[in-house]
Amino acid sequence: MLKSMSVVREAIDADVGDEPDGAMAESEARQAASGRKVLPIVEGLVLLAALIAPFVLQDYLTVFATRVIILALFALSFDLVWGYAGIMSFGQALFFGSAGYGVALLARDLDITNIFLVLPAGTIIGLTFALLLGGFLLLGRHPSSVIFVALGTLTGSYAADRLARGWYYLGGQNGIPSISPMTLGSYEFSEGPVFYYLTLGILVVAYLLCRFLVRSQFGLALAGLRENEQRIAFFGYKAQHLKAIVFAVGGTIAGLAGSLYAFHEGFVWPNMVGVVVSTQVVLYVLFGGSGTLIGAVIGTVIIEGVSFWLSDNYRDIWPIILGVLLLLVILFRPLGLISFVLGERERVGSFGAKLKEKRNAAS
Amino acid sequence: MANAFVAAFEILSFGAIIVLIVLGLGIIASMMGIFNFAQGEFVLLGAYITYLAYSHGLPIWAGMVAAPFLVGALGFALEGLIIRRFYAAPIVAMLGTYALGLIIRESVRGLIGGFYLTVPEPIGGSIDLGTVHISTWRFIIIVITLLVMGACYLLLSRTSFGLRVRATLENPALARASGISTPLIYGATFAFGAALAGLAGALIVPVFSLFADLGIRFLIQGFVAVMVGGVGSFIGPVAGAGVIGTLSAALPWIIAPVVADVLVFVLAIAFIKFRPQGLIAGKGV
Repeated sequence: MLKSMSVVREAIDADVGDEPDGAMAESEARQAASGRKVLPIVEGLVLLAALIAPFVLQDYLTVFATRVIILALFALSFDLVWGYAGIMSFGQALFFGSAGYGVALLARDLDITNIFLVLPAGTIIGLTFALLLGGFLLLGRHPSSVIFVALGTLTGSYAADRLARGWYYLGGQNGIPSISPMTLGSYEFSEGPVFYYLTLGILVVAYLLCRFLVRSQFGLALAGLRENEQRIAFFGYKAQHLKAIVFAVGGTIAGLAGSLYAFHEGFVWPNMVGVVVSTQVVLYVLFGGSGTLIGAVIGTVIIEGVSFWLSDNYRDIWPIILGVLLLLVILFRPLGLISFVLGERERVGSFGAKLKEKRNAAS
Repeated sequence: MANAFVAAFEILSFGAIIVLIVLGLGIIASMMGIFNFAQGEFVLLGAYITYLAYSHGLPIWAGMVAAPFLVGALGFALEGLIIRRFYAAPIVAMLGTYALGLIIRESVRGLIGGFYLTVPEPIGGSIDLGTVHISTWRFIIIVITLLVMGACYLLLSRTSFGLRVRATLENPALARASGISTPLIYGATFAFGAALAGLAGALIVPVFSLFADLGIRFLIQGFVAVMVGGVGSFIGPVAGAGVIGTLSAALPWIIAPVVADVLVFVLAIAFIKFRPQGLIAGKGV
């Protein structure tokens, strides 16, 4: 797999250079002029805000913020799959929800709530489902069309929703209520600052792992895959395998998020595996900005925050506003809100030290 | 024997409903390469228009006649204003039409709330066949579906409009060079697909009642049917819809309904995986 790095890099450079966008060229120029990178600043600010949040927020808002962080972790998994590998996983909730159901059953039927057992269990459930579905949809003799994968994942999630609704063992329409809290020895994780910092810590670790992954040789190949799959395949990369791997990683993170969600909310219900939550995560990532990781987090915070804020007065029209916003983003800002501050060059990323040296030598 | 006949009729009428809903979806997907996620909402609008006519004291059938025209006009406007910008990328088109559908669905939900609103059948009663009775309205749905299918086929294969549509599908650049206004053809095709969805909504609302998620309920089934049938021809999606509609209506008579639901989807996806071109190979997207 580790071959012709420079060729791939040039291919990506060429593709990025192909379509200069007015606004992006501008922000890139601004960046170049200041000689500073924007991404670490944005990430730092978000982390800072997240760290101090419980001190400034009221208790019930800390509980809400915990939920947002869990959803951000879930959004991260979708961004990895869609933003970096160009796989439209329209059924990402399948991994989120099945892990949630899995840990709920562990807690209900086997009385297992130990954090060191349930979180890995949820993660493994997510991974297993992602391997099965991803392997089926993405691998094979013929490369799958992007529409097929989108509809295949959507259908998978929809079928899981129907199954959960109709299966008495899984609680049917009502799902599984009052799941016992997650435990560590005799300590019980209930809603509040401790659970908040636990999820924040998990999000930061997952974020750093994803960041490392997408800035590695693997991520370089993924970026190439997203920009021009045929060219990457032509260089000898097994594009399908790369896709299946990143799909599995995405499913793993979604599984982790799903198990945290189940314990935080204390119940799971069919929507959690279905189309509703699947499309919700697409909204977060598109809105914030796909292919940036931090965009997924920002999108989740903004959409969930605004819908929480509006939920009392404008509950009915909020989904309409959301649809209009989404349409506007797709039409005018396909790279999401983050593209107002982040240039195309930095979004794709620069890989390795060599590139910088070559640039400096050239200029 | 009588039971078997009633079952067969039920299955057939459900299959006809799916065909009716998928027809427009399939025409848009095949001719334009767009999987229209707002199609379910066009069905919903057709149903809603029929309900409005009924609730304002007009004859129900007046609403049913108006629905395809109004929804078709809306489709034409939306194509010109928004959908047109999505042609370059199928995924963007999917997301864009999803957003459109969300706006329409939630607007309708705002208007009708979470209720199930009922519209009576314009022609009620049942047809007596000796010992068994079948619903007249369901029988009429089957007949209209067959008529609409025939009309679509003739429109696309025998008229000059159909010729232009097919030429645009085969080779847009060449069609443009031959003096066909391809943007107009795209607009008309999309409007036609939307009108079919509007008609479907109008016809099925007495059977399923009106609720905000009426359209989305059939949407995924519709996509799967289009993929199973094969994109790029007229007959493909219809065949796919026939198969999917019949299977999802027939299986619950044999196995548990929940298992049947899931099984239909699993079988369909597996089928598409191993035969990507679908039942009837067309041009593909």
